[in-house]
Amino acid sequence: MLTLYKKELNYYLNNVVGYLILIIFAAFANFLFVKDIFVVGTASMKSFFGIMPWLFLVFIPALGMRIFSEEKRVNTIEILLTLPVSETQIVLAKFFAMATLFLMSLALTLAAPISLALIARLYLPEVIVGYLGIFLLGVSSIAIAMFFSSQTKNQIVAFLLSVLVLFFLNVLATDFLVTVLPKAITDFASYFGPIYHLQNFIKGIVDVRSLFYFLSLLVVFLFLTVISLEKRD
Amino acid sequence: MISFSSVTKKFHQKTAIDKISFKTKKGEIIGFVGPNGAGKTTTMRLIMGYLRPTAGKILIDDSDPLENRIDVLKKIGYLPENNPLYQEMRVNEYLGFISDIKEEKDYLKIVEQVGLNDVLATKIEELSRGFKQRVGLAAALFGNPEILVLDEPTSGLDPIEQEKIRNLIRQLAERKTIIFSTHILSEIEDIADRLTIIDNGKIVYDGVKPKGKGAVEKLFKKTINY
Repeated sequence: MLTLYKKELNYYLNNVVGYLILIIFAAFANFLFVKDIFVVGTASMKSFFGIMPWLFLVFIPALGMRIFSEEKRVNTIEILLTLPVSETQIVLAKFFAMATLFLMSLALTLAAPISLALIARLYLPEVIVGYLGIFLLGVSSIAIAMFFSSQTKNQIVAFLLSVLVLFFLNVLATDFLVTVLPKAITDFASYFGPIYHLQNFIKGIVDVRSLFYFLSLLVVFLFLTVISLEKRD
Repeated sequence: MISFSSVTKKFHQKTAIDKISFKTKKGEIIGFVGPNGAGKTTTMRLIMGYLRPTAGKILIDDSDPLENRIDVLKKIGYLPENNPLYQEMRVNEYLGFISDIKEEKDYLKIVEQVGLNDVLATKIEELSRGFKQRVGLAAALFGNPEILVLDEPTSGLDPIEQEKIRNLIRQLAERKTIIFSTHILSEIEDIADRLTIIDNGKIVYDGVKPKGKGAVEKLFKKTINY
Protein backbone atom coordinates (compact mmCIF):
# COMPACT_ATOMS: atom_id res chain seq x y z
CA MET A 1 0.00 0.00 0.00
CA LEU A 2 2.93 2.32 0.73
CA THR A 3 4.11 1.94 -2.88
CA LEU A 4 0.68 2.92 -4.19
CA TYR A 5 0.51 5.83 -1.73
CA LYS A 6 3.90 7.14 -2.85
CA LYS A 7 2.93 6.86 -6.51
CA GLU A 8 -0.27 8.81 -5.95
CA LEU A 9 1.39 11.51 -3.87
CA ASN A 10 4.21 11.85 -6.41
CA TYR A 11 1.66 12.39 -9.16
CA TYR A 12 0.41 15.53 -7.40
CA LEU A 13 3.86 16.68 -6.29
CA ASN A 14 5.33 16.28 -9.79
CA ASN A 15 2.40 17.96 -11.42
CA VAL A 16 1.82 21.69 -11.76
CA VAL A 17 -1.95 21.20 -11.35
CA GLY A 18 -1.46 19.86 -7.80
CA TYR A 19 0.52 22.94 -6.78
CA LEU A 20 -1.91 25.23 -8.56
CA ILE A 21 -4.85 23.83 -6.58
CA LEU A 22 -2.88 24.17 -3.32
CA ILE A 23 -1.84 27.74 -4.06
CA ILE A 24 -5.32 28.84 -5.12
CA PHE A 25 -6.81 27.30 -1.97
CA ALA A 26 -4.20 28.92 0.29
CA ALA A 27 -4.63 32.27 -1.46
CA PHE A 28 -8.43 32.21 -1.02
CA ALA A 29 -8.28 30.99 2.58
CA ASN A 30 -5.71 33.60 3.60
CA PHE A 31 -7.55 36.33 1.71
CA LEU A 32 -10.78 35.55 3.54
CA PHE A 33 -8.93 35.56 6.86
CA VAL A 34 -7.28 38.91 6.16
CA LYS A 35 -10.63 40.33 5.05
CA ASP A 36 -12.18 39.32 8.38
CA ILE A 37 -9.36 40.78 10.42
CA PHE A 38 -8.87 44.09 8.65
CA VAL A 39 -12.17 44.82 6.91
CA VAL A 40 -14.73 43.27 9.26
CA GLY A 41 -12.50 43.82 12.30
CA THR A 42 -12.85 40.39 13.98
CA ALA A 43 -9.77 39.08 15.78
CA SER A 44 -10.94 35.47 15.81
CA MET A 45 -10.48 32.30 13.79
CA LYS A 46 -14.19 31.43 13.97
CA SER A 47 -15.31 33.05 10.74
CA PHE A 48 -12.21 31.64 9.01
CA PHE A 49 -13.21 28.10 10.05
CA GLY A 50 -16.85 28.86 9.27
CA ILE A 51 -16.13 29.70 5.65
CA MET A 52 -14.20 26.47 5.06
CA PRO A 53 -17.20 24.24 4.11
CA TRP A 54 -17.92 26.64 1.25
CA LEU A 55 -14.30 26.77 0.17
CA PHE A 56 -14.03 22.97 0.34
CA LEU A 57 -17.12 22.79 -1.84
CA VAL A 58 -14.91 23.64 -4.82
CA PHE A 59 -11.41 22.83 -3.55
CA ILE A 60 -11.95 19.19 -2.57
CA PRO A 61 -13.81 18.13 -5.75
CA ALA A 62 -11.08 19.88 -7.80
CA LEU A 63 -8.46 17.91 -5.91
CA GLY A 64 -10.27 14.59 -6.15
CA MET A 65 -11.98 14.64 -9.53
CA ARG A 66 -9.18 12.88 -11.39
CA ILE A 67 -8.33 10.26 -8.78
CA PHE A 68 -10.32 7.46 -10.46
CA SER A 69 -11.96 9.07 -13.48
CA GLU A 70 -8.62 9.77 -15.17
CA GLU A 71 -7.52 6.17 -14.51
CA LYS A 72 -10.77 5.05 -16.14
CA ARG A 73 -10.42 7.41 -19.09
CA VAL A 74 -6.90 6.27 -20.03
CA ASN A 75 -7.61 2.73 -18.80
CA THR A 76 -4.70 2.59 -16.32
CA ILE A 77 -7.40 1.37 -13.92
CA GLU A 78 -6.94 -1.98 -15.71
CA ILE A 79 -3.30 -2.02 -14.59
CA LEU A 80 -4.24 -1.21 -10.99
CA LEU A 81 -7.04 -3.74 -10.78
CA THR A 82 -4.91 -6.54 -12.22
CA LEU A 83 -2.03 -6.01 -9.79
CA PRO A 84 -1.88 -8.22 -6.69
CA VAL A 85 -3.32 -5.56 -4.39
CA SER A 86 -6.83 -5.38 -2.95
CA GLU A 87 -9.40 -2.77 -3.92
CA THR A 88 -9.35 -1.59 -0.31
CA GLN A 89 -5.59 -1.00 -0.50
CA ILE A 90 -6.02 0.96 -3.74
CA VAL A 91 -8.75 3.15 -2.25
CA LEU A 92 -6.88 3.71 1.03
CA ALA A 93 -3.60 4.52 -0.75
CA LYS A 94 -5.34 7.10 -2.90
CA PHE A 95 -7.25 8.46 0.07
CA PHE A 96 -4.13 8.87 2.22
CA ALA A 97 -2.27 10.55 -0.65
CA MET A 98 -5.09 13.06 -1.04
CA ALA A 99 -5.36 13.51 2.72
CA THR A 100 -1.61 14.26 2.82
CA LEU A 101 -2.03 16.88 0.13
CA PHE A 102 -5.00 18.30 2.00
CA LEU A 103 -2.90 18.51 5.19
CA MET A 104 -0.26 20.38 3.22
CA SER A 105 -2.91 22.83 2.07
CA LEU A 106 -4.08 23.31 5.66
CA ALA A 107 -0.47 23.92 6.68
CA LEU A 108 -0.44 26.78 4.17
CA THR A 109 -3.21 28.46 6.17
CA LEU A 110 -1.28 28.37 9.44
CA ALA A 111 -0.04 31.89 8.69
CA ALA A 112 -3.53 33.00 9.72
CA PRO A 113 -3.50 31.89 13.39
CA ILE A 114 0.19 32.75 13.74
CA SER A 115 -0.34 36.32 12.56
CA LEU A 116 -3.46 36.60 14.67
CA ALA A 117 -1.55 35.46 17.73
CA LEU A 118 0.91 38.30 17.14
CA ILE A 119 -1.76 41.00 17.27
CA ALA A 120 -4.39 39.53 19.60
CA ARG A 121 -4.86 37.02 22.40
CA LEU A 122 -5.58 33.65 20.85
CA TYR A 123 -6.94 30.71 22.79
CA LEU A 124 -4.78 27.93 21.34
CA PRO A 125 -6.92 24.85 22.25
CA GLU A 126 -9.87 26.46 20.46
CA VAL A 127 -7.75 26.95 17.33
CA ILE A 128 -6.48 23.37 17.46
CA VAL A 129 -10.00 21.97 17.83
CA GLY A 130 -11.17 24.24 14.99
CA TYR A 131 -8.43 22.85 12.76
CA LEU A 132 -9.41 19.32 13.82
CA GLY A 133 -12.97 20.11 12.72
CA ILE A 134 -11.99 21.38 9.29
CA PHE A 135 -9.57 18.48 8.91
CA LEU A 136 -12.41 16.02 9.56
CA LEU A 137 -14.69 17.94 7.23
CA GLY A 138 -11.95 17.90 4.55
CA VAL A 139 -11.16 14.19 4.73
CA SER A 140 -14.84 13.22 4.69
CA SER A 141 -15.31 15.51 1.67
CA ILE A 142 -12.33 13.77 0.03
CA ALA A 143 -14.09 10.42 0.49
CA ILE A 144 -17.19 11.84 -1.20
CA ALA A 145 -15.12 13.25 -4.10
CA MET A 146 -13.34 9.90 -4.49
CA PHE A 147 -16.62 8.04 -4.69
CA PHE A 148 -17.96 10.26 -7.46
CA SER A 149 -14.65 10.07 -9.31
CA SER A 150 -14.99 6.27 -9.26
CA GLN A 151 -18.37 6.56 -10.98
CA THR A 152 -17.34 8.17 -14.23
CA LYS A 153 -14.57 8.52 -16.82
CA ASN A 154 -15.26 12.23 -17.05
CA GLN A 155 -13.42 14.45 -14.53
CA ILE A 156 -15.83 17.34 -15.05
CA VAL A 157 -18.85 15.13 -14.32
CA ALA A 158 -17.06 13.81 -11.20
CA PHE A 159 -16.33 17.39 -10.11
CA LEU A 160 -19.89 18.58 -10.65
CA LEU A 161 -21.45 15.60 -8.86
CA SER A 162 -19.17 16.13 -5.85
CA VAL A 163 -19.91 19.86 -5.77
CA LEU A 164 -23.63 19.15 -5.96
CA VAL A 165 -23.60 16.65 -3.07
CA LEU A 166 -21.33 18.78 -0.88
CA PHE A 167 -23.53 21.80 -1.60
CA PHE A 168 -26.63 19.82 -0.67
CA LEU A 169 -25.02 18.69 2.60
CA ASN A 170 -23.89 22.23 3.40
CA VAL A 171 -27.34 23.64 2.75
CA LEU A 172 -28.91 21.16 5.20
CA ALA A 173 -27.55 23.12 8.13
CA THR A 174 -28.12 26.64 6.90
CA ASP A 175 -30.90 29.17 7.50
CA PHE A 176 -31.87 28.90 3.87
CA LEU A 177 -33.91 25.73 4.50
CA VAL A 178 -35.85 27.36 7.32
CA THR A 179 -37.40 29.72 4.80
CA VAL A 180 -38.81 26.89 2.70
CA LEU A 181 -39.44 23.99 5.14
CA PRO A 182 -41.07 23.59 8.58
CA LYS A 183 -38.70 24.06 11.51
CA ALA A 184 -39.13 20.51 12.78
CA ILE A 185 -37.85 19.16 9.46
CA THR A 186 -34.98 21.61 9.17
CA ASP A 187 -33.86 20.86 12.72
CA PHE A 188 -33.78 17.18 11.87
CA ALA A 189 -32.15 17.72 8.46
CA SER A 190 -29.47 20.00 9.87
CA TYR A 191 -28.08 17.09 11.88
CA PHE A 192 -27.06 15.50 8.57
CA GLY A 193 -25.21 18.60 7.42
CA PRO A 194 -21.47 18.91 8.12
CA ILE A 195 -21.82 22.60 9.00
CA TYR A 196 -23.97 21.71 12.02
CA HIS A 197 -21.22 19.42 13.34
CA LEU A 198 -18.42 21.78 12.43
CA GLN A 199 -19.99 24.44 14.66
CA ASN A 200 -19.12 22.40 17.74
CA PHE A 201 -15.47 22.20 16.73
CA ILE A 202 -15.39 25.92 15.91
CA LYS A 203 -16.61 26.61 19.44
CA GLY A 204 -13.71 24.51 20.70
CA ILE A 205 -15.85 21.51 21.66
CA VAL A 206 -14.91 17.99 20.60
CA ASP A 207 -18.39 16.45 20.51
CA VAL A 208 -18.28 12.67 20.15
CA ARG A 209 -21.47 12.77 18.05
CA SER A 210 -19.86 15.17 15.60
CA LEU A 211 -16.69 13.10 15.55
CA PHE A 212 -18.85 10.04 14.82
CA TYR A 213 -20.70 11.92 12.08
CA PHE A 214 -17.54 12.86 10.17
CA LEU A 215 -15.96 9.44 10.60
CA SER A 216 -19.18 7.75 9.45
CA LEU A 217 -19.31 9.94 6.35
CA LEU A 218 -15.67 9.07 5.65
CA VAL A 219 -16.06 5.32 6.15
CA VAL A 220 -19.34 5.06 4.22
CA PHE A 221 -18.01 6.83 1.13
CA LEU A 222 -14.67 4.97 1.19
CA PHE A 223 -16.62 1.73 1.49
CA LEU A 224 -18.88 2.72 -1.42
CA THR A 225 -15.78 3.47 -3.50
CA VAL A 226 -14.34 0.03 -2.72
CA ILE A 227 -17.68 -1.55 -3.68
CA SER A 228 -17.75 0.35 -6.97
CA LEU A 229 -14.23 -0.94 -7.80
CA GLU A 230 -15.28 -4.49 -6.92
CA LYS A 231 -18.25 -4.39 -9.28
CA ARG A 232 -16.26 -5.48 -12.37
CA ASP A 233 -19.04 -4.95 -14.86
CA MET B 1 -3.75 -24.08 -15.30
CA ILE B 2 -6.61 -21.93 -16.59
CA SER B 3 -10.06 -23.47 -16.78
CA PHE B 4 -13.20 -21.93 -18.28
CA SER B 5 -16.47 -23.85 -17.82
CA SER B 6 -19.46 -22.56 -19.79
CA VAL B 7 -18.42 -18.97 -19.20
CA THR B 8 -20.76 -16.26 -20.43
CA LYS B 9 -20.20 -12.53 -20.22
CA LYS B 10 -22.93 -10.07 -21.10
CA PHE B 11 -22.67 -6.30 -21.24
CA HIS B 12 -26.27 -5.19 -20.71
CA GLN B 13 -28.13 -7.06 -23.48
CA LYS B 14 -25.07 -7.80 -25.63
CA THR B 15 -23.43 -11.19 -25.18
CA ALA B 16 -19.67 -10.80 -25.54
CA ILE B 17 -18.76 -14.35 -24.53
CA ASP B 18 -21.22 -17.18 -24.92
CA LYS B 19 -20.74 -20.35 -22.85
CA ILE B 20 -17.08 -20.87 -23.70
CA SER B 21 -15.09 -23.70 -22.16
CA PHE B 22 -11.41 -24.48 -22.42
CA LYS B 23 -8.49 -25.67 -20.31
CA THR B 24 -4.82 -24.89 -20.66
CA LYS B 25 -1.90 -27.17 -19.91
CA LYS B 26 1.28 -26.09 -18.21
CA GLY B 27 3.88 -24.68 -20.62
CA GLU B 28 1.47 -24.30 -23.53
CA ILE B 29 1.45 -21.29 -25.82
CA ILE B 30 -2.10 -20.60 -26.88
CA GLY B 31 -2.90 -18.16 -29.65
CA PHE B 32 -6.36 -16.59 -29.49
CA VAL B 33 -7.54 -15.26 -32.84
CA GLY B 34 -10.80 -13.81 -34.02
CA PRO B 35 -12.28 -10.79 -35.76
CA ASN B 36 -12.72 -7.44 -33.97
CA GLY B 37 -15.34 -7.73 -31.24
CA ALA B 38 -15.19 -11.53 -31.25
CA GLY B 39 -14.52 -11.63 -27.50
CA LYS B 40 -10.73 -11.98 -27.26
CA THR B 41 -10.16 -9.03 -24.90
CA THR B 42 -13.18 -9.96 -22.80
CA THR B 43 -11.72 -13.48 -22.39
CA MET B 44 -8.35 -12.04 -21.30
CA ARG B 45 -10.06 -9.69 -18.85
CA LEU B 46 -12.11 -12.55 -17.42
CA ILE B 47 -8.93 -14.56 -16.84
CA MET B 48 -7.48 -11.60 -14.95
CA GLY B 49 -10.59 -11.15 -12.83
CA TYR B 50 -10.92 -7.65 -14.27
CA LEU B 51 -14.42 -8.61 -15.39
CA ARG B 52 -16.92 -10.77 -13.55
CA PRO B 53 -18.53 -13.54 -15.63
CA THR B 54 -22.31 -13.38 -16.00
CA ALA B 55 -22.45 -17.18 -15.80
CA GLY B 56 -20.05 -20.11 -15.65
CA LYS B 57 -16.91 -20.82 -13.67
CA ILE B 58 -13.33 -19.64 -14.14
CA LEU B 59 -10.51 -21.26 -12.21
CA ILE B 60 -6.82 -20.43 -12.20
CA ASP B 61 -4.92 -23.31 -10.55
CA ASP B 62 -8.22 -24.29 -8.89
CA SER B 63 -8.75 -20.79 -7.49
CA ASP B 64 -11.45 -18.32 -8.43
CA PRO B 65 -9.75 -15.15 -9.75
CA LEU B 66 -12.36 -12.97 -8.02
CA GLU B 67 -12.55 -14.76 -4.68
CA ASN B 68 -8.79 -15.31 -4.32
CA ARG B 69 -7.83 -12.28 -6.34
CA ILE B 70 -4.43 -11.46 -4.86
CA ASP B 71 -3.13 -15.04 -4.84
CA VAL B 72 -4.29 -15.58 -8.41
CA LEU B 73 -2.85 -12.30 -9.66
CA LYS B 74 0.55 -13.20 -8.21
CA LYS B 75 0.61 -16.10 -10.67
CA ILE B 76 -0.29 -14.10 -13.78
CA GLY B 77 1.55 -11.44 -15.71
CA TYR B 78 -0.72 -9.31 -17.89
CA LEU B 79 -0.22 -7.05 -20.84
CA PRO B 80 -3.61 -5.39 -21.44
CA GLU B 81 -4.97 -4.36 -24.83
CA ASN B 82 -3.47 -1.05 -26.03
CA ASN B 83 -0.96 -1.30 -23.17
CA PRO B 84 -2.20 1.47 -20.85
CA LEU B 85 0.71 3.06 -18.97
CA TYR B 86 1.20 6.04 -16.68
CA GLN B 87 2.54 8.29 -19.42
CA GLU B 88 3.77 11.00 -17.04
CA MET B 89 6.12 8.60 -15.23
CA ARG B 90 9.69 7.78 -16.20
CA VAL B 91 10.37 4.17 -17.19
CA ASN B 92 12.37 3.47 -14.01
CA GLU B 93 9.65 5.04 -11.83
CA TYR B 94 6.93 2.98 -13.45
CA LEU B 95 8.87 -0.27 -13.40
CA GLY B 96 10.00 0.47 -9.83
CA PHE B 97 6.36 0.93 -8.84
CA ILE B 98 5.22 -2.34 -10.44
CA SER B 99 8.24 -4.33 -9.25
CA ASP B 100 7.73 -3.11 -5.66
CA ILE B 101 4.12 -4.29 -5.71
CA LYS B 102 5.05 -7.62 -7.30
CA GLU B 103 8.09 -7.97 -5.01
CA GLU B 104 10.44 -8.56 -7.93
CA LYS B 105 14.05 -9.10 -6.92
CA ASP B 106 15.53 -9.53 -10.43
CA TYR B 107 14.37 -6.12 -11.65
CA LEU B 108 17.56 -5.37 -13.59
CA LYS B 109 17.66 -8.81 -15.19
CA ILE B 110 14.18 -8.32 -16.65
CA VAL B 111 14.95 -4.76 -17.73
CA GLU B 112 17.96 -6.13 -19.60
CA GLN B 113 16.01 -9.05 -21.03
CA VAL B 114 13.41 -6.77 -22.62
CA GLY B 115 16.03 -4.22 -23.72
CA LEU B 116 15.05 -1.20 -21.66
CA ASN B 117 18.47 -0.33 -20.19
CA ASP B 118 18.98 2.73 -22.36
CA VAL B 119 15.59 4.31 -21.78
CA LEU B 120 15.17 3.91 -18.02
CA ALA B 121 15.34 7.65 -17.38
CA THR B 122 13.00 8.52 -20.26
CA LYS B 123 9.41 9.59 -19.72
CA ILE B 124 7.02 6.91 -20.96
CA GLU B 125 5.13 9.45 -23.10
CA GLU B 126 8.35 10.10 -25.04
CA LEU B 127 8.94 6.44 -25.93
CA SER B 128 8.20 4.82 -29.29
CA ARG B 129 5.34 2.30 -29.41
CA GLY B 130 7.84 -0.54 -29.51
CA PHE B 131 9.54 0.60 -26.31
CA LYS B 132 6.20 1.23 -24.63
CA GLN B 133 5.27 -2.34 -25.46
CA ARG B 134 8.52 -3.54 -23.89
CA VAL B 135 7.71 -1.54 -20.72
CA GLY B 136 4.33 -3.28 -20.57
CA LEU B 137 5.97 -6.63 -21.15
CA ALA B 138 8.58 -6.03 -18.43
CA ALA B 139 5.79 -5.11 -16.02
CA ALA B 140 3.99 -8.34 -16.93
CA LEU B 141 7.16 -10.36 -16.25
CA PHE B 142 7.78 -8.97 -12.76
CA GLY B 143 7.04 -11.38 -9.95
CA ASN B 144 8.03 -14.38 -12.07
CA PRO B 145 4.46 -15.33 -13.00
CA GLU B 146 3.66 -18.89 -14.11
CA ILE B 147 1.16 -17.61 -16.67
CA LEU B 148 1.44 -14.74 -19.12
CA VAL B 149 -1.69 -13.21 -20.62
CA LEU B 150 -0.80 -10.94 -23.52
CA ASP B 151 -3.59 -9.06 -25.27
CA GLU B 152 -2.36 -8.20 -28.78
CA PRO B 153 1.28 -7.81 -27.76
CA THR B 154 2.43 -6.74 -31.24
CA SER B 155 -0.52 -4.53 -32.16
CA GLY B 156 0.49 -1.27 -33.84
CA LEU B 157 4.18 -2.15 -34.08
CA ASP B 158 6.27 -2.04 -37.23
CA PRO B 159 7.44 -5.43 -38.62
CA ILE B 160 10.92 -5.16 -37.03
CA GLU B 161 9.50 -4.40 -33.57
CA GLN B 162 6.90 -7.14 -34.03
CA GLU B 163 9.69 -9.61 -34.67
CA LYS B 164 11.62 -8.46 -31.58
CA ILE B 165 8.55 -8.87 -29.36
CA ARG B 166 7.86 -12.32 -30.88
CA ASN B 167 11.43 -13.36 -30.13
CA LEU B 168 10.98 -12.25 -26.55
CA ILE B 169 7.76 -14.27 -26.24
CA ARG B 170 9.54 -17.32 -27.72
CA GLN B 171 12.30 -16.98 -25.09
CA LEU B 172 9.74 -16.71 -22.29
CA ALA B 173 7.76 -19.65 -23.57
CA GLU B 174 10.39 -22.07 -22.30
CA ARG B 175 9.27 -21.51 -18.73
CA LYS B 176 5.70 -20.24 -18.78
CA THR B 177 2.16 -20.86 -19.97
CA ILE B 178 1.33 -18.10 -22.42
CA ILE B 179 -2.04 -17.02 -23.73
CA PHE B 180 -1.92 -14.29 -26.32
CA SER B 181 -4.46 -12.74 -28.63
CA THR B 182 -3.64 -11.43 -32.06
CA HIS B 183 -5.02 -10.33 -35.40
CA ILE B 184 -1.88 -11.48 -37.15
CA LEU B 185 -2.31 -15.07 -38.26
CA SER B 186 1.38 -15.55 -39.12
CA GLU B 187 2.11 -14.82 -35.46
CA ILE B 188 0.16 -17.94 -34.53
CA GLU B 189 2.23 -19.97 -37.02
CA ASP B 190 5.40 -18.50 -35.52
CA ILE B 191 4.75 -18.81 -31.81
CA ALA B 192 1.70 -20.84 -30.76
CA ASP B 193 1.41 -24.55 -29.94
CA ARG B 194 -2.34 -24.39 -29.77
CA LEU B 195 -4.86 -22.33 -31.69
CA THR B 196 -8.17 -21.06 -30.37
CA ILE B 197 -10.46 -19.29 -32.81
CA ILE B 198 -13.23 -17.18 -31.34
CA ASP B 199 -16.07 -15.66 -33.30
CA ASN B 200 -19.17 -13.85 -32.03
CA GLY B 201 -18.30 -14.85 -28.47
CA LYS B 202 -18.09 -18.58 -29.22
CA ILE B 203 -15.06 -20.79 -29.59
CA VAL B 204 -15.29 -22.18 -33.10
CA TYR B 205 -11.96 -24.01 -33.07
CA ASP B 206 -9.72 -25.12 -30.22
CA GLY B 207 -6.94 -27.53 -30.93
CA VAL B 208 -3.50 -28.15 -32.25
CA LYS B 209 -2.19 -25.47 -34.55
CA PRO B 210 -2.33 -26.74 -38.14
CA LYS B 211 1.13 -27.12 -39.63
CA GLY B 212 2.36 -25.66 -42.92
CA LYS B 213 2.55 -22.18 -44.38
CA GLY B 214 -0.89 -20.58 -44.71
CA ALA B 215 -2.61 -23.46 -42.88
CA VAL B 216 -3.74 -21.23 -39.99
CA GLU B 217 -5.21 -18.68 -42.40
CA LYS B 218 -7.02 -21.40 -44.32
CA LEU B 219 -8.52 -22.81 -41.11
CA PHE B 220 -9.41 -19.34 -39.87
CA LYS B 221 -11.31 -18.49 -43.04
CA LYS B 222 -13.08 -21.83 -42.97
CA THR B 223 -14.26 -21.55 -39.36
CA ILE B 224 -15.38 -17.94 -39.02
CA ASN B 225 -18.28 -16.12 -40.65
CA TYR B 226 -16.69 -13.59 -43.00
